[in-house]
Amino acid sequence: MILQEHMSLEKKLEILSDAAKYDVACTSSGVTRRGEKGCLGNTAAGGICHSFAADGRCISLLKVLFSNECVYDCKYCLNRASNDVPRATFTPEELCTLTVEFYRRNYIEGLFLSSGIINTPSHTMGLLYQTLLLLRRQYRFNGYIHVKTIPGADPELIQKIGYLADRMSANLEISTQEGLKKLAPHKTHARILAPIRQIQNSILQDRLEGRAEGFLPPPRTQTGLTVASRNQSSLSPQIPAHSAADPHLQYLARTAQTVSRSHPRFVPAGQSTQMIVGAVPESDFQLVRTAEALYQNYDLKRVFYSAYVPVNEDASLPSLDTRPPLLREHRLYQADWLLRFYGFHAGELLTEERPNFNLFIDPKCDWAVRHLELFPVEITSADYATLLRVPGIGVKSARRILYARKHSLLDFQALKKMGVVLKRAHYFITVNGHMLYPVKLEETYITHNLIRSEQDKNWQIAREMTYQQMSLFDDFQLV
Amino acid sequence: MNQPDTPSQTIYLCDDTPDGIFTAVYDAWASGLGHQNVALALNGDYNLSLFARYVSVTTDYEKSFRVARSVQRKLSSAVFDMAYRASLSNDPEKADAIYRFLVLAFRRGPKIVSMLGLPQVQTIFALHRRVSNEAHYFVEFTRFSALAQHLLYGKICPKANVLPLTAPHFADRLPSESWILLDEKRNLAALHPADRDWVLMPVQKDELEALCHYDAEEDQYRSLWKLFHKTIAIRERTNPRCQMTHLPLWYRKNMTEF
Repeated sequence: MILQEHMSLEKKLEILSDAAKYDVACTSSGVTRRGEKGCLGNTAAGGICHSFAADGRCISLLKVLFSNECVYDCKYCLNRASNDVPRATFTPEELCTLTVEFYRRNYIEGLFLSSGIINTPSHTMGLLYQTLLLLRRQYRFNGYIHVKTIPGADPELIQKIGYLADRMSANLEISTQEGLKKLAPHKTHARILAPIRQIQNSILQDRLEGRAEGFLPPPRTQTGLTVASRNQSSLSPQIPAHSAADPHLQYLARTAQTVSRSHPRFVPAGQSTQMIVGAVPESDFQLVRTAEALYQNYDLKRVFYSAYVPVNEDASLPSLDTRPPLLREHRLYQADWLLRFYGFHAGELLTEERPNFNLFIDPKCDWAVRHLELFPVEITSADYATLLRVPGIGVKSARRILYARKHSLLDFQALKKMGVVLKRAHYFITVNGHMLYPVKLEETYITHNLIRSEQDKNWQIAREMTYQQMSLFDDFQLV
Repeated sequence: MNQPDTPSQTIYLCDDTPDGIFTAVYDAWASGLGHQNVALALNGDYNLSLFARYVSVTTDYEKSFRVARSVQRKLSSAVFDMAYRASLSNDPEKADAIYRFLVLAFRRGPKIVSMLGLPQVQTIFALHRRVSNEAHYFVEFTRFSALAQHLLYGKICPKANVLPLTAPHFADRLPSESWILLDEKRNLAALHPADRDWVLMPVQKDELEALCHYDAEEDQYRSLWKLFHKTIAIRERTNPRCQMTHLPLWYRKNMTEF
């Protein structure tokens, strides 16, 4: 282990961003907050990407660990206690300066702060709280903050940090309890879900109370984010006491009656989680069902899927030369969208008998070709829910169809202009009783055509994944 | 008047600015020649047509304002927004497309924005969407450099004239910062003094950079950002084609990390 006493900021950033890169969530969505004079930043509900890394993933937030010291020994993790890697820890001031300076230059949308476990979960969460408090109050940062919930941390600390963050997340990591037990002996589903439930309840309560937006106390007399105010003495280094007599909370309680508009909201952008795909032999059905349960029972905003990248050698893990299952991950995300926006249920997409997605064809097309009795759909009369189930029609184009057909006649040309992907949709729709081409509604025929048109894209996604030559005729006798 | 025997069309040539186009809309409409006998084109962007009469339009803010006001009052701000954003596009045919759209809009009412079955609406819808998307890209990919005196300086080189659409975003986001955002292609800049309103003004790039002592290399956070951009990528997932899809090369011109 290398000690960090005189480590430069560059070195720390290198180590702690490298250690954070396996966390997928980098979205900055879910909350709109306007800018305020004297503060830095605003947020947009749609989220804003700022760059794309060499792996094609979006960079929206400054994604770093507070520290990569860790007392846990999760087998899949680069920072596990038994690995001999260089260790580093930011100071709260370093992290705040970095965030604010990156933000001013429009490099980032905010901060994504996670951490290894230093001593205990509560101790770690306390350090994160201290950093965020400094960032919000001293540096007057009004941009997006996503912070990791550390399972096992004091519930009161979690409660307090929730008023400073926009989004919180605790990673479920493995969709099955047995898998988790095998790979992360310190973690259990119950322990991870407890803070998720706590935050869910607090969000609900906060919504019920209908609090206004804003994180910061009313502007101080001197306006402007001056250098002097940034360099003012930092907050006390002690971890905040766990008693209720916390000055921040007291402040909040006080302002609740007086200045309602500067009362912060509790985790306004909701919660997310992440599951690793391919570390243990679980099926897509298990993953999707777990995700569905999380959406339904825990009000999660997002479930992220992370194709397993082998970083450690261990008998219970896939071998080091395993390629990340990127196409599988892609299919899971497609299914996830179907669950959240298209009114599908996990049980419609997959079953116990057919527990994995077809890698050659997207889940919506796959569902449609198995339910040809529901097609073709007449565009000029079908309702919204029916339109949404047509491959090639998305949420936006379905809405556009609804309002366009009220006022004008539609044809295939117009549908194309509205953003309907006719390449996929034309097998499943009629406009004024006519299909675009004479197509027979037959499963094998349509499937083969759909696969042919998607081949290039799939090959691109999968090429990192497999050395095996894919053959349309051997591997893919679907029916 | 000694005109050639009734030219088939009168073409109004206008400046490539929202005000120029709306002035031409006003003039063409007020001419009383009939909508089918007039057309709008941008200065310098037209192919001369033999049997047409050309009228040069002088941009008149009063006329432009009156068009904007009546669209907003008699139709809706959504109709105006579509026409306005289309007028910022880099499409050479946009002026005439906006005219056709507005003629139809006054006939059909504010619901015109959802009549996507009509070709005139489809054209404006496509322009509007392309401009809005590009404006959003520059909200994402604009990079500022920190100069002396706490001044932030950013450069963009967009295809459409998106500066008027992106500047309000930064004005809300960085209200207490002084910043300048320059459109290199049009020599147009948004200037925002700390805690004040922003203004749009024509500038010369060289003069501007001399004035604010622009030196791209002095900023230490640039190298930190480049470092972060490199380390955050997962080597095993390297995928330049995917990166290219999301962030095409031409956007990268003024981006710190490339």
